[in-house]
Amino acid sequence: MEFRPILSSLLRNRTGPLLVAVQVALSLAILANALHIVSVRQAVVSRPSGVERESDIFHVRVADLRGGGTFNEVLAGQKRQLELLRAVPGVESVAQTNQVPLSQSGNNTGLAADRRQIRPTTGASFYVSPDSLVKTWGLKLVEGRDFLPTEVLDIDTRTSTEQAKIAIVTQALAQKLWPDATSYVGRTFYFGTGDTAEAARVTGVVERLQSTSAELGERGEMSLIMPMRRVGEPRAMYTVRTEPGQRERVIKEVEETLRKDANNHVMIRPKTFDADRKDRYRADRGLAWMLVTVSVLLMLVTASGIVGMASLWVTQRRKQIGVRRALGARRIDILRYFILENVMITSAGVAAGLLGALALNHLLVSTLELARLPAGYLVGGAAIFLALGIAAVYGPAWRAASISPATATRGVV
Amino acid sequence: MFAYYFKLGLRNLRRNPALTALMVLTLAVGVAASVSTLTILHVMSGDPIPHKSDRLIVPLIDNGQLQGYAPGDKPDDDQISYRDAMNLLASKQGIRRTAIMGTGGAIEPERKDMPSFAATGLAPTRDFFAMFDVPFLYGQAWSEADDRAGADVIVLSRKLAEKLYGDVNPVGRRVRYNGFDFQIVGVIERWNPIPRAHRIIGKGAFDDEDELFVPMASATRHEWFNNGSTTCFDDRGPGYQAWLDSECTWIQFWFELNTVADRPALQHWLDAYAAEQRKLGRLKRNAPNKLYDVMEWLAYQKVVGNDNKLSAWLAFGFLLLCLVNTIGLLLAKFSVRAPEVGVRRALGASRREIFHQFLTETAVVGLAGGVLGLLLAWGALALIALQSKQLSLVARMDWTMLLTTFVMAVAAAMLAGLLPTWRACQVTPALQLKSQ
Repeated sequence: MEFRPILSSLLRNRTGPLLVAVQVALSLAILANALHIVSVRQAVVSRPSGVERESDIFHVRVADLRGGGTFNEVLAGQKRQLELLRAVPGVESVAQTNQVPLSQSGNNTGLAADRRQIRPTTGASFYVSPDSLVKTWGLKLVEGRDFLPTEVLDIDTRTSTEQAKIAIVTQALAQKLWPDATSYVGRTFYFGTGDTAEAARVTGVVERLQSTSAELGERGEMSLIMPMRRVGEPRAMYTVRTEPGQRERVIKEVEETLRKDANNHVMIRPKTFDADRKDRYRADRGLAWMLVTVSVLLMLVTASGIVGMASLWVTQRRKQIGVRRALGARRIDILRYFILENVMITSAGVAAGLLGALALNHLLVSTLELARLPAGYLVGGAAIFLALGIAAVYGPAWRAASISPATATRGVV
Repeated sequence: MFAYYFKLGLRNLRRNPALTALMVLTLAVGVAASVSTLTILHVMSGDPIPHKSDRLIVPLIDNGQLQGYAPGDKPDDDQISYRDAMNLLASKQGIRRTAIMGTGGAIEPERKDMPSFAATGLAPTRDFFAMFDVPFLYGQAWSEADDRAGADVIVLSRKLAEKLYGDVNPVGRRVRYNGFDFQIVGVIERWNPIPRAHRIIGKGAFDDEDELFVPMASATRHEWFNNGSTTCFDDRGPGYQAWLDSECTWIQFWFELNTVADRPALQHWLDAYAAEQRKLGRLKRNAPNKLYDVMEWLAYQKVVGNDNKLSAWLAFGFLLLCLVNTIGLLLAKFSVRAPEVGVRRALGASRREIFHQFLTETAVVGLAGGVLGLLLAWGALALIALQSKQLSLVARMDWTMLLTTFVMAVAAAMLAGLLPTWRACQVTPALQLKSQ
């Protein structure tokens, strides 16, 4: 093996190899962390919301501008709007609701498993609907049942703070409230703590329903649904499931229908589920794109550095290569020499880069509250740069190997 | 001599074109990455109202529940209750004061061809406009009497006024908002300070302009709820008055001080106020009462997010890599010119002159990298601005950043050029001449 002579030659001429090693180390440190952040964000963005076939869902906010009216008038108006929406062709299901997942705006409430607790167990998104959100959103019931139409409460928020006494909760919420239980239906939980905290009983558990903010971690799946309609102001929100591919047309028809019904004295704001999702994750996607771009550029710059330096060395050593060839070295020997040399330099860079990646990650964890780097990224990053190094040096090395033995005898530098 | 070396440097760009192009491109990309992220960071962390940002003060009283509270915990909400807001407004502290709530609703245009549309804005008190230097295009702020009476008066943004009335001055006309007729008393010029320190909670530090303003007393008289963030803990009764009387926090408050020196007095007053309220059985946490000026408030609200800092750090790491790369490439470029240096040295050029020449040449490379980097950064910012409205507000190139780009590129290139240049000077003339 030519290991020792290559090493001593490297040590005699340190600057160039050192620069290449530093480049590899820097790139590896950044790349490993960047790719890790990208994959963390990607995992966040692709979490399921619990809503089935999201691309067929939209919601529409309707504000009646003709003023309030009595509780019964407002209630009758909302029921009429529901009927109008259900009659639009292509509509599969409609539910009135107070909020929708991922919309980043909504009602949250503190819940406790026990009134005597000092602090609530968790916060949760508070969905209320007089219709079946389970049906409209296609939520998966894993235990218990959906609400019955007879269980729905219509509440005048101007005179009452009453609320329903039953709820459907997500699996994550149930597990948080009762970590040791295996079955949740029939259990009672409380809104807040203390003697006055309202109680509610679980009638059903859905596999998953993300909160309005879709926070990171378990908090993002803390949601509950209650069978009620809160009437205060003459405004309402409806969530609609359409037949596949019909959404855009249905949105237009829904707008027209509602406008006509209110004789134009109405404000209608539709928004698709996809648009809410896109808004929620815009920043994560943006960062991921920027990191991917930087990573690609990092590799390009590093590769160009290796090619540049290797080309320089080949030029500088034309004469020696010629001599070696004249003395009987085969092409493969020359090729091997340069590749081995590069592997040694890259390995040194990779070793330093691994330490650098850990140090950078430590810095990111401690100052920017990011996640710790799994070892897989270090191994993967090291492999990428070793492969990149060999690929980048192959061209110059091949040119070196093609130098003819006559070069040495001709004495051209 | 410099001009000559500069010309030589320009000419030498053409020598070794592949290597030079690679160098310029590497530098440009590094500079572009760091400048575009730095620009965003710079705009995000800017002072929206520099000449009085240290005199505009947010008072914060922790109105949270006692249950589960440990001294030192942060408050659950960074806003205050309606009751505290009214007391602070009546306090006569500072030279001006305002309480701000958010409002949103439907505008019903007189024109029949325009359907009703949603508009959002603020419900502050009269002082708001003077405190935040809001520029008026037509008319003026409403009067103190309007504040007291909760009059139905409204100030529109220029954009909203033009949408409704075109180019004419609409002051004196009526506009129907949220089901009530409001008289227009003023139209403000385009005004959207970045960051929107005056109302970060509920709308965000980088968001659209406020489209309209109505007196807070008018908003509460019409029983409007806050359009923004609201935090409630205790069980309040039904109805609007119970809402106002509750300890729910949903109002953002600002004081304007005459001089910064008045700040301790305000702190003293606030502490006394909180102590007095505690005697009435309120503010159970007994937490410290805080004052934040504009920049402190922006820092406290973490307006510059961790993601932005991360981007900037990575971009600088990337720039560092590009510099190391450039050092290597310059080394390669200069090393093939040892014979040339040998000849010049033999002909009497001093090491200093060689140093000058090569460093000038390096600067030329840096300059080329800077120009290209500037174009790339401009493109990158345009791309970033396309992503969202919020980003389009902050992804803007200003002159400071433009100059910084150039200085950075040239300085970076010259820094990278120091080692290769020094190496080039070390050439021994005799050896070079002999080998030729």
